Amino acid sequence: MNWTGAVRTIIVCAILIVLHYTLRPLLAWRASIDFLVVALLLGSVRLRPGAAAVYGFILGLVSDSLGVSAFGAAALGMSVVGFSASWLKAVFFADNLALNGFFLFLAKWLFDIISSLVSHRAHGAELAMQLFVWSPLSAAVTAVAGVIALSLLKPLMEVRTA
Amino acid sequence: MATAVRLGTRVDAGLLVGCVVLSLVATALPEKDREPIAGALRRTVVAPLVGLQRGAERWRIAWVSNEQRQLAADSVAMRAINSEALRTENEHLRKAIGLGSRLQWGFVPAEALHNTTPNEAIVTTLTLTAGSSAGIQQYSPVVAPEGLVGTIYKADPSMSIAELYTHPDFRASAMSADGQASGIVFPHSDPGTGSEAYMLELRGVSTRIMLKPNTVIFTSGLGGTFPRGITIGTVVSEIKTNEVWTRTYLVRPAVMPSRVTTVLVLTAQRDTQGTGNIWGGAAVNGDSAARRIAAAGDSLARHAAQLEAEARKAALDSVRLATIDSVQRAIGIARTTPTPELDTAAQRRVRDSLRADSLRKTRRP
Repeated sequence: MNWTGAVRTIIVCAILIVLHYTLRPLLAWRASIDFLVVALLLGSVRLRPGAAAVYGFILGLVSDSLGVSAFGAAALGMSVVGFSASWLKAVFFADNLALNGFFLFLAKWLFDIISSLVSHRAHGAELAMQLFVWSPLSAAVTAVAGVIALSLLKPLMEVRTA
Repeated sequence: MATAVRLGTRVDAGLLVGCVVLSLVATALPEKDREPIAGALRRTVVAPLVGLQRGAERWRIAWVSNEQRQLAADSVAMRAINSEALRTENEHLRKAIGLGSRLQWGFVPAEALHNTTPNEAIVTTLTLTAGSSAGIQQYSPVVAPEGLVGTIYKADPSMSIAELYTHPDFRASAMSADGQASGIVFPHSDPGTGSEAYMLELRGVSTRIMLKPNTVIFTSGLGGTFPRGITIGTVVSEIKTNEVWTRTYLVRPAVMPSRVTTVLVLTAQRDTQGTGNIWGGAAVNGDSAARRIAAAGDSLARHAAQLEAEARKAALDSVRLATIDSVQRAIGIARTTPTPELDTAAQRRVRDSLRADSLRKTRRP
């Protein structure tokens, strides 16, 4: 990835992070959009797995710092998701929006599963409800929003050659 | 090359393991050790994001509170509209009750249901919630607290249809408040729009009578359909017509059909016996007052005549008795059964004569 591509990726990720802290509280949905996961996947596929894990760790720490509990859970989940996305970058690079949406869905669900299990915020039926109802719903919403965001930001991501 | 790839893979794995370990350590940290790290992040790197989130939440709160305020304002407005409708209805009902208490008898109260016929330019009929089983008959007068509404067109057992004064066939004999001007009220031949659509015409008023604007017009009671003294409306202006010997006046009705919700239907007996001065008509008032004054005068005259007759009779009796007494005394006939009055008079006269004799005796030497 050259410098131009890196700058473009940083800008798009910054936009997605800003959206996470502006649009998400504004909507305040129960199954909310996680723009951080979209930003994580968008950056991870352009990084080596180790760097993607560090990137995910940093994003997770940012997310955790604004939470009242479970400090480190989001960092763990995002590290794993970032590493996995980078490792599966060949699949993720496929120019297919539906496939990208599916991987966004899987990434968000995996992140929610890891963070929910590690944080111990819920138990029993509540945890099952969170993992199998709200997390898939949130993952689906995130996938749709991610696909829309990627479609809108695609011109910014494309590398123009003279 | 293979060594570099292997090294890179090991580095990646190492970084992942490091991140995972650090994350687990962060998770396992106690609250007092965790908070300084999170707080430092919040104050430095994450500070702009915190500001963004705070701003977004404020927007959200403002949005929600604005919606709630809007809902509250809407509900208040709705309540105000309802209260206005209730106030109007209450006012109508109070007036209807007031009219009912003034009429006292001979009426049937009914609710007026407006017919929803969109092709009808003006309202000409009303459906009433009382019918023939309540005593309503065809052509019974329909009145409201403000005045005349119309007549009953058809009376079913449980409901009836009222033909309003706006109906083309409506006619009512009318008069002015002082009773000098009289004529026939018709629906206005050239109805306007809005409130002007319900105007009336007072036709056939004598040319020598000039009615001023705002002169109140009442039913005159002629024809027998409407009793005398129900308010029809007020004169607006004179209408120029081709009639030479009569005048025609534009009359604004006292009752607006669109506002009629409760009416009273006068029964046949009440229609025959009249309503008196219920609507405050001066002519009716004057008429009834004149009748009352005449009746009072008659009774006084009768009483005075009776007294005079009794006085005359008493005087004649006294003269007759005195004459009989003096004649009897003159011819020396003793009374056998003197009347107490006569006896008393005779005794008084005897006493007077004795007193006179004794006086004569004392005066004699």
